[in-house]
Amino acid sequence: MQHRSLFHVALLAGEIMLRNGAETYRVEDTINRILHTYEFEIIESFVTPTGIFVTIADSNTELITLIKRVQHRTTNLEKVALVNDISRRLVSGSLEISEALKELQQIQQKPPYSSFIITLSIGLASAFFTLMFGGHWRDFIASGIIGIILSMVQLYFSNKKISNFFINIVGGACIGLTSILLTSILPLGQHLDPIIIGSIMPLVPGVAITNAIRDTIQGDLVAGNSRATEAFLIAISIATGVGIVLKIFLLITGGSMP
Amino acid sequence: MIVKTMSAFFATIFFSIIFNIAKKNLIFCGLGGAIGWFIYLCCIQSIHSPVLASFLGALTVAIFSRSMSKIRKVPVTIFLISGIIPLVPGAGMYRTMFAIINNDLVGAATYGISTLQIAGVIAIAMVMVSSFPNKKQR
Repeated sequence: MQHRSLFHVALLAGEIMLRNGAETYRVEDTINRILHTYEFEIIESFVTPTGIFVTIADSNTELITLIKRVQHRTTNLEKVALVNDISRRLVSGSLEISEALKELQQIQQKPPYSSFIITLSIGLASAFFTLMFGGHWRDFIASGIIGIILSMVQLYFSNKKISNFFINIVGGACIGLTSILLTSILPLGQHLDPIIIGSIMPLVPGVAITNAIRDTIQGDLVAGNSRATEAFLIAISIATGVGIVLKIFLLITGGSMP
Repeated sequence: MIVKTMSAFFATIFFSIIFNIAKKNLIFCGLGGAIGWFIYLCCIQSIHSPVLASFLGALTVAIFSRSMSKIRKVPVTIFLISGIIPLVPGAGMYRTMFAIINNDLVGAATYGISTLQIAGVIAIAMVMVSSFPNKKQR
């Protein structure tokens, strides 16, 4: 029965990694390394961003294939690091399979940073990005406020389980609206461009696009394609949100931007 | 320039919190982001090519991340993803979108293509560094 529990440990480790933003090749690699600690004749794993497929076969066991569908992905890189550590200890033999399973289940329960800290970080990240793209101190404060409003809006909608596509449109519109408010009506910020660029940085899929290209170069064509599609969808929805608001503003003021 | 590099440092740290990176690694993530952005700024002042500057910035980040992940024994992704945050073409995407709503299709194509180029060279820099053979397999 030991091979079965090892199989479950490998699959659970892979699932946690994929759910929390690990690259597909790393997930495949982890699953294979864990399974190689037992002498199976055939070990095959195939990971896409939306699912894991693993097959093992042995002379005295029948062929086992398991499929794990992964629907919601977030980015929680600490969990990836922890699972990586467990797999390393398991492979080196300093960790029993049952203990590994227990630790993996603990990792699954581990809470992320509190939503207060996340909200504050999104605000401060936006603010510092504005500074980085050539904004002034007043723009810094403006985009900090926008970032905090944005993350509250995001939090509100994601608690209601609305699709990400819609959340991004609303988020983009919210950025457009508040940044116009804070530059034209309340004269806090002076430069609209760095404020908007800084504030959309937490939303834009720059990392996703880069990872999609990286996956494609490395030969994970399925993963690369699906990540690219996801990234373009996010980009389009943000652009729709920001674009609608800016367009309306341009129509009202007759084409003058602050 | 010092202000911009410092901003990149803090922006990367706060972004790493959004990615739920453990507290003990945050400073190093910020350092990666700051180094990458500093190289980018130096290059763009001397050679005026955002694509080449992004490439060199990303290359620095990738080398830094790889050595950091060796030293601190955590997956390289942690430093890589957070380190490239200042370099990724968020501004390019915004300018493309802004050109489209202004019906400036030439501008949209220019910014759109340069955005894709920058994303591409960052990815190539990351792959280049990760394809160097490992001395000992973990």
